Amino acid sequence: MAVIVQTKELIETVIASLLAGVGITVVFSVGIWGAARFADLSRAERPLAAGAAAMTAALAGLVTAAAVVFGIVIMSSK
Amino acid sequence: MSSDVILVIVVVTALAFDFTNGFHDTANVVATSISTGAARPQVAIGFASLLNFAGAFISISVAATVANDVVDSAVVTPTVVFAGLIGAIAWNLVTWSFGLPSSSSHALIGGVVGSAVAAAGFDAVLADGLVGKVLIPAVIAPILALLAAGIAIGLVYRIVGKQRPGTVTRGFRYGQIISGGMLALAHGTNDAQKTMGVITLALVANGTLGANADPPLWVIVASATAIALGTYSGGWRIIRTTGTRIIKMDAAQGFSAQGAGAAVILTSTHFGFPLSTTHVINGGVMGAGAGKRVSAVRWGVAGNIVTAWLLTLPAAAAIGALAYGLTAIFGDGALGPILVSLMSISLIVAVFARRSRQGAPVPVS
Repeated sequence: MAVIVQTKELIETVIASLLAGVGITVVFSVGIWGAARFADLSRAERPLAAGAAAMTAALAGLVTAAAVVFGIVIMSSK
Repeated sequence: MSSDVILVIVVVTALAFDFTNGFHDTANVVATSISTGAARPQVAIGFASLLNFAGAFISISVAATVANDVVDSAVVTPTVVFAGLIGAIAWNLVTWSFGLPSSSSHALIGGVVGSAVAAAGFDAVLADGLVGKVLIPAVIAPILALLAAGIAIGLVYRIVGKQRPGTVTRGFRYGQIISGGMLALAHGTNDAQKTMGVITLALVANGTLGANADPPLWVIVASATAIALGTYSGGWRIIRTTGTRIIKMDAAQGFSAQGAGAAVILTSTHFGFPLSTTHVINGGVMGAGAGKRVSAVRWGVAGNIVTAWLLTLPAAAAIGALAYGLTAIFGDGALGPILVSLMSISLIVAVFARRSRQGAPVPVS
């Protein structure tokens, strides 16, 4: 079996896929959390905290966008 | 003349398979988006159709053809390819008829293996390729997606659980549009490439193209169009199963299944282990349900789906072998493929007519 499939590569693939699958979902959720907190904190007139929440949302959005671009690069290069 | 007729039949059959592939696998891309309300059904299917079409053009390097990886290419003739395609189309229609999501790629591989065995015996099968590139990924894909989506949904609920439900639901619905788009692109790239590979293989076997030739533009356009039209036709039976029968999902679960699924597919592709879109998404849906509450998953439905997955390779192989055997009765000419094509078309019409009379396989809950 080890000859047919390189076990080390397979384990690496499984770990990387799990991290990517969980990671991108969590990052996007943090973005939603940031957007929701921004709305709440803005209503509560707490501009500093609202700004921090907006920054968190924007950063998570950027990471998600980067992941999408990386995904398209993977598709186009295989 | 006879070989040209067989070639035309193979090309038409390959495009018919491509159509059923889009038709059958639409569910993987759109089911969760539809069931969570992220997109209206026709919009979701139209969007997936466009991205499937675009996906077919993203990479024009033909992936190693199915036949080269799992059977000895020396035994592959246009008739073997034809019989393999018949096996794949037939199994796709059987599983569609029961509303079960199964892998079209595995059906194609099974069909080609069956017809190659019927043509040249078991020595024609490349066991290493079959185990390493088909069977092991088939086992890993749903488990990996189930774990990723299951862990992800647990974390997602912890992160956004105390926020306003309206904002959270809207956010995940937007996310589903992106993750669904990525799945549609990946599906178009993977699956349309397989059809392009099969048609190119038949053109090479017929001597129309030289060995190692790239697919001609008309093959790329025809394959992209067939899979996009199939996707636009929409396999509603399977959409109902994936979207509503495995679990009753919310937007966060839908995004976890799709987002984690897309990430798993692309990461494993990057590492050289492309996984079945069907297996990943359905595993992801089960994981997103089980991550919230194990009893939320209708395990009976999940069991039926896994049974269909287990049967796909042997069943498509058996039909492929039968199709080759029937074709071979009439010799090497075009008569066999013509008669088998007519028989297949008659059976397809009968299945559609029967299912149309019966309506949906299950009511949408």
